[in-house]
Amino acid sequence: MELINNILYDTIYHSTPIILCVTGGMFAYKANVLNIALEGMMLNGAFISTLVMFFTGNLPLAVFLAILTTLVYGLVFSFMGITCKGNVIVVGLAINLIVPAIAGFVMKMMETANINLKNVNITKYKINIPLIKDIPIIGSILSGHPPITYLAFIGIAIFAVLMYKTRFGIYVRVVGENEDSARSIGIKTGFYKYAAVLIGAFCCALAGVNLSVERLGLYTNDMTAGRGFIAIAAIYCGQGEPVLSSLYAILFGVARSLAVNLSIYAGPAAGLFDIIPYIIMVAVLAAVSIVKHKNVKVRGFKC
Amino acid sequence: MNKKEGIIRNILNSILPIFLAFVIGGVVIACIGENPMETYWILLKKSFLSSTGFMNTLHYASPLILTGLAIAVTFKADLYNMGVEGQMLFGGFFAGIAGAYITGMNPFLHKFICFAAGVLCGMAFALIPALLKAKCRVNEMVVTLMLNYAMAKALEFLSTGVFRDLGSGYVATPIIKESAMFSRFGRSRLTMFFVIAVIVLIIMYVVMKKSKLGYEITAIGKNSEFAEATGMNVAKKTIVLMLLSGALAGLAGAGYMMSEQFKYTLNFSGTPGLGWDGMLIALLGGHSPGGILIAAIFYAALKTGSDNINMYTNVPKEIVALIQGLIILFLAVKFISERMDLKGRRLHNGTDQ
Repeated sequence: MELINNILYDTIYHSTPIILCVTGGMFAYKANVLNIALEGMMLNGAFISTLVMFFTGNLPLAVFLAILTTLVYGLVFSFMGITCKGNVIVVGLAINLIVPAIAGFVMKMMETANINLKNVNITKYKINIPLIKDIPIIGSILSGHPPITYLAFIGIAIFAVLMYKTRFGIYVRVVGENEDSARSIGIKTGFYKYAAVLIGAFCCALAGVNLSVERLGLYTNDMTAGRGFIAIAAIYCGQGEPVLSSLYAILFGVARSLAVNLSIYAGPAAGLFDIIPYIIMVAVLAAVSIVKHKNVKVRGFKC
Repeated sequence: MNKKEGIIRNILNSILPIFLAFVIGGVVIACIGENPMETYWILLKKSFLSSTGFMNTLHYASPLILTGLAIAVTFKADLYNMGVEGQMLFGGFFAGIAGAYITGMNPFLHKFICFAAGVLCGMAFALIPALLKAKCRVNEMVVTLMLNYAMAKALEFLSTGVFRDLGSGYVATPIIKESAMFSRFGRSRLTMFFVIAVIVLIIMYVVMKKSKLGYEITAIGKNSEFAEATGMNVAKKTIVLMLLSGALAGLAGAGYMMSEQFKYTLNFSGTPGLGWDGMLIALLGGHSPGGILIAAIFYAALKTGSDNINMYTNVPKEIVALIQGLIILFLAVKFISERMDLKGRRLHNGTDQ
């Protein structure tokens, strides 16, 4: 029972940052801008929020600055990739390299290998919902998570509405599907692409805050560990549909949670359990692609 | 005339990002109260202006030439093999295992076996995304990125468990036997591996510029549907290219193991890793072998320089990683000038001059 509770709790715990990245990143995906800088943006959110918390202990300020700086990266990405028409994959990679470099530089100046928030008690961020927290299984799913976790799950619904029920969402998708047509009817394609990337940056910043300050009170330079790329894989699997993509993100959360919780019983093979989530995502991606292309009879080779 | 202009444009396209990145890096150095010119001078002096330093630079360039080529052959065909890092690690790891556990071998044969192990492992690991891409049309970029993490974790598991050298105070595989080590030239770190890397570079030059495969790489990269329509088997070529890329990456890992590291540690390829460095080099060199050679030497100079910056100044060596990232960022924009070239030709007749 304890184990099941732990697995369920960890599922939510590990899904949160990926769901945030997925919901943010899918707008860029729909606008036909491949934002592989999700990883770097998330790391930046984690780094800035931890840094500000370390020096001021002021959480709202930390979150605000994390979002602000990540939006700056979003602007840099958009400017280089959309306005200057640079190769977005290369720009994304560059951001993924620049963020840890800056963080490493700052931490070297502070003469520390990681930023540890000793003065912050992370348990106080957890929201324990009365009554619900005592219900066995549901309690561990619904209660005891930090605020951004709840925001992430509410965000799925909000972004689904934004994408399908508003003019903004429709325009973003039109821009992605056929940019020339969109331009011909007077849609400012650049604006919608910028907006799509910036939404991604905003969500990634929150994911970073969740990952570092809220969960661990710690920043290390490799803490995102490919979550941004997993989010991209989830977006690909779900083809940018908010709910479907989030489900794939949760699937990763399940895999990760199982790996963490079951590795206790694995003895020396425990190290191998870390591989499982990545392998599962590759397998799912493959399966989805096979299904997607099964009935396509067009000759030619395009992804 | 046009060709000459093209070359000048290409050189400018590579130098401007470097210049901009160094200017921004200089501002950062100035901000922390150090002298940027002095820092850059140390970097230059230690990497280029002493014979040992220059030979060390060439030494560090050797694996980078190979990873750069590994990236270039796929990127040029519009395939994003981001798994070079993982393929390199895998190749390096098993080259190290072959080097450590096979004893009493003829040195030449032993090195050959290690290289073979590295190349085969690199190819095997590249085969997964290649098959997925060719048969199931799975996006190769996402797959390779994720497999990198899986590979790093798997090798961590192997090196902390089965292959751990218990005599060592930290996590490492046993040191390879002397018969598998490359001997150094004089006081520098330079070994025969550099020569091997250059030979491979020359072979790749011939392959990319003169052979049928090279033409097909360019054709697929420009327009894969058209390539398919003219009768190329793009799926098959995808597999071939990924295997070639994996082989080059594995070779790089094996050589790095036998000429520099001698054992697999968790920090084998450093940060951000030889595979990622290879990406910068391929971009900087414009995906052409000649460019890659120059870019690899330039980048290796940054790498040797970064250690010296750490030693002789108060500037953290992460500044080099920052400059590297900025170079990539600015290099991305280079692609517009190439595109402008195509459109710009019309512009050229009208407005220019």
